[in-house]
Amino acid sequence: MEIVGDLLDISGIGRDRMQLRWVSAAEGQLFARYVTEFSDITREMGPFDLDKFAIPLAAVEQTLNSPRIRWLLGLTKQLTERENVYHEKLDADDYKELLRKATKEEYEKALIAVAIKERPCSVGEISEKIGLPVYTISLRLNELEKNGLAELSGYDGSTPKFMGQNA
Amino acid sequence: MSEPFEPKILAFLCNWCAYAGADLAGVSRFQYPPTIRTIRVMCSGRVDPGWVVNGLKSGFDSVFVSG
Repeated sequence: MEIVGDLLDISGIGRDRMQLRWVSAAEGQLFARYVTEFSDITREMGPFDLDKFAIPLAAVEQTLNSPRIRWLLGLTKQLTERENVYHEKLDADDYKELLRKATKEEYEKALIAVAIKERPCSVGEISEKIGLPVYTISLRLNELEKNGLAELSGYDGSTPKFMGQNA
Repeated sequence: MSEPFEPKILAFLCNWCAYAGADLAGVSRFQYPPTIRTIRVMCSGRVDPGWVVNGLKSGFDSVFVSG
């Protein structure tokens, strides 16, 4: 759930749109207070603009389903409490950092994948659509190509255009 | 005609903790705003991160997970 918060932050949707609270069965009053608080927070943030966030939201979903993130999350205990196949052990902070970095990269990839799903785009067009710097996009696009998730679909003049692939 | 914005909040409540808590809040008549739509789950660990995204996608303004 922490990672969902991170993702909502990165995507500009805002961490506050999701909240996790512990309430026991005996704490009716606490529950009422949390709901009141959260309602106020949401009211302050205003309605969620679905059209504006359609692309980021799709990318967040794709990131959460990406094999890399799922593997990393599944291996939390193994990596931090035991050791990996190279007998290396990560402490909790290093693991968090690793996860954060992976999340960011996967999110950028997912954004690009969403942007080029419908029709071929040049790197410039992708950048315009999702607001990432051109250099980052070419890096991530390269990785997507390596994994067979994107491919060169042709040229517009001398500008290469990329199209998404369903792996 | 502009009505004041009433948020719509999706709430995932654990059957054993928060759902019972919500029930208790009702029984003891603690006031809380009618903004949440509840889904009871058998454990808050059952909530998939994807559901949060899906909730936002289907038009909720925010998602509350409680267990």
